[in-house]
Amino acid sequence: MGSPRLAGDLIPLREIAFSRSGDKGDTINVSVIAYDKKHWNLIRQEVTTDVVRRLYAGLVTGEIIRYELPGTHALNFVMKGALAGGVSMSLRVDGHGKSFQSLILEAEVSAPTA
Amino acid sequence: MSHAKTVRVGCGSGFAMDRLEPALDLAASGRVDYLAFDALAERTLAMAQLRRQENPRHGYDTRLEDTLDGLAPYVADGLKVVGSFGAANVEAAAEVIVDRFRNAGHRGIKVAAIVGDDVLKQVREINPFIEELDKRVGDLGERVISANAYLGAREIVEALGQGAQWCVGGRLSDPSLYVGPICHEMGWSLDDWDRVAHATLVGHLLECSTHITGGFFADPPYREVDGIENLPFPLAEVSDGHAIITKLDGTGGLVDDRIIAAQVSYEVHDPAAYTNPDIVADFTQVTAETVAPHRVLVRGARGKARPDTLKVLVGIDMGWKVVAEISYAAAGCLSRAQLAQKIIAHKLEAMGGDILDSRQDLHGFNTLVGDGFRDRRNQDPVEVRMRVAARCRTRKAAERLSLEVERLYLEGPAGGGGVVRRVEPALGVFPIYVDAGVVTPSISYMET
Repeated sequence: MGSPRLAGDLIPLREIAFSRSGDKGDTINVSVIAYDKKHWNLIRQEVTTDVVRRLYAGLVTGEIIRYELPGTHALNFVMKGALAGGVSMSLRVDGHGKSFQSLILEAEVSAPTA
Repeated sequence: MSHAKTVRVGCGSGFAMDRLEPALDLAASGRVDYLAFDALAERTLAMAQLRRQENPRHGYDTRLEDTLDGLAPYVADGLKVVGSFGAANVEAAAEVIVDRFRNAGHRGIKVAAIVGDDVLKQVREINPFIEELDKRVGDLGERVISANAYLGAREIVEALGQGAQWCVGGRLSDPSLYVGPICHEMGWSLDDWDRVAHATLVGHLLECSTHITGGFFADPPYREVDGIENLPFPLAEVSDGHAIITKLDGTGGLVDDRIIAAQVSYEVHDPAAYTNPDIVADFTQVTAETVAPHRVLVRGARGKARPDTLKVLVGIDMGWKVVAEISYAAAGCLSRAQLAQKIIAHKLEAMGGDILDSRQDLHGFNTLVGDGFRDRRNQDPVEVRMRVAARCRTRKAAERLSLEVERLYLEGPAGGGGVVRRVEPALGVFPIYVDAGVVTPSISYMET
C-alpha cells in the first residue's frame, strides 16, 4: 500500500502473514502463518524469539519458545507467564490472551523481493 | 463386522455458550453421521460444580434441554451424538436426556453415561502439590471445589459399540469427542497411533466450531469474510490417511487452507508432541490443501503412544473478584485518569490484607499491549477508561472497592463518567497430572 517497495524496506509482518493465539493456564501460544509459502523462510529468519520478546515486553514474564510447522508454513511461539496467572485467575482485561495474536503482526520484516 | 471407508462427523458446539442453530442445520442436512458437542471450557466445570452444590439436580450444561428438543427427531432417524453435556452432573444429565426423549415419544434410544472424570476423592487422597499456590490440596480444605480428569475416547468407543446413540460425559477431552466416533466407525484400534493421531487432528480442527469457518479470522482489508453474520459449524469427511474439512452449502463464512493452517497450532505448544489422553500427536508435517471451494484436504498427522498420566483440573475457591471502570474524555484525559488511579491506589492500600491481588489499567492506552509497546507510539488518546481489578478475601471487601470507583463520580477528577462495576466469585482452576490408573471411568446404559 502506498509507494512501491524497495529492497531493504521494512514492512509490518501483517502484510505477509497472519496469526492466531490460544491459552492453556498461564501460557499463551501465538502462531504466525505465512500467506504465501515462499515467504516462510524470510519469516523464519527475521521473526526470532528476541523480536517477539521485545514486542511482548510489557505482557510476558516467562520463557518464550519457538516451534516450526513446516507442513503449514507456520511458526508457533509459546510464551510462559503470559496471562498474569492464567485465565481463571488473571485480573487483566483479556485474561485469555485472545488479543495477543494482533501484537505479533507489528513486527517489522524485510519487504520480500519476490 | 465390516467398517466404513468414510465417516462424517460434524461439530455441534465449540464452547458452553455456543449457539444451537448451526448444529441443527448440520443434523437436518443429512451430511453427518455424528455430532460432537464440547460444552466445557477450563473454568466451566468448576462453575457447574457450584450450581450442583446449590441444587443436586443441576450442574449439567444449561443448554441441554433445548439441544435435546432440537435434535430428538434426527436422533430418532439415526443421528448419533457425543458430548460433554454432563459437566458436573453426568447422572442428572443422562436422566434428563432419557425423560425428554420418552416425553417426546421417542422410544428405544440407547443413552450411555460416561462417569469417572470426577476424581475429587482420589485427589484428596493423593494430596498433590499445586505449584501455582505453593500448597498441597490438603492444606486448602473446603476451598477445593472440584477435580476432574480429562478422559479419552476409550469409553466412547465402547459405548458406541454397545449401540449407544447418545453418549454423555463430563470432562471428556475435546478431540476425543471425535476420536471416539471416528475410530468406532472405521474400526481403528486405539493403539494404532498414526490413525488415532489422524482422528485427533480432525477433532482438534473441528472442536472450536466457527474457528474454522471464518470466525476469529477477519482482519479487513487483509482477510475478509463474506457472510460473517451467519457462520456455519464445520464437518469432516474422514477417510484412512486423509480427511476433507468443509461446511454446508449456502451458508456464510469460508473454509480454506489458511484457516485450517492457523487452527492446526491453536492452543498447541510443542507441535511435535500435542498431548491428549489418547495420543501424543505430531502435527509438524500436517498439510492443508484447498481442493475445491470450501473443501480442504488435511493429512500428515503422526502419533506416539498415549501418555501414562492424565491431566486433572482442580477448581479452587480463590475469594471474590471485583472489576470497576470509569471514563475520561478529550484534552487531559490521560492525566485525569492517572489521577483517578492514584486515588484508587490509596483506597487499595487502606484495605490492606483484604486485597489479595490487584491491578489498574487504562483502556485505550495499555490494557492489551502492555506499557512496553505503548512507549514506541507516544500519541495522546482522545478518551481513556480507568479500570481497577482486584481479588479480595471477602465479598464485602470486593463490594467496598467497587463503591470506591462509583464515588469517583463525586470525589474524583473532573468529567469522570460511565461507571460499570462487577463483583463475582473468583474461581481458580489449576492443572495437576495423575497416573492414568488412578482414574477409573465406567459407563451406564439407559434406554428410552
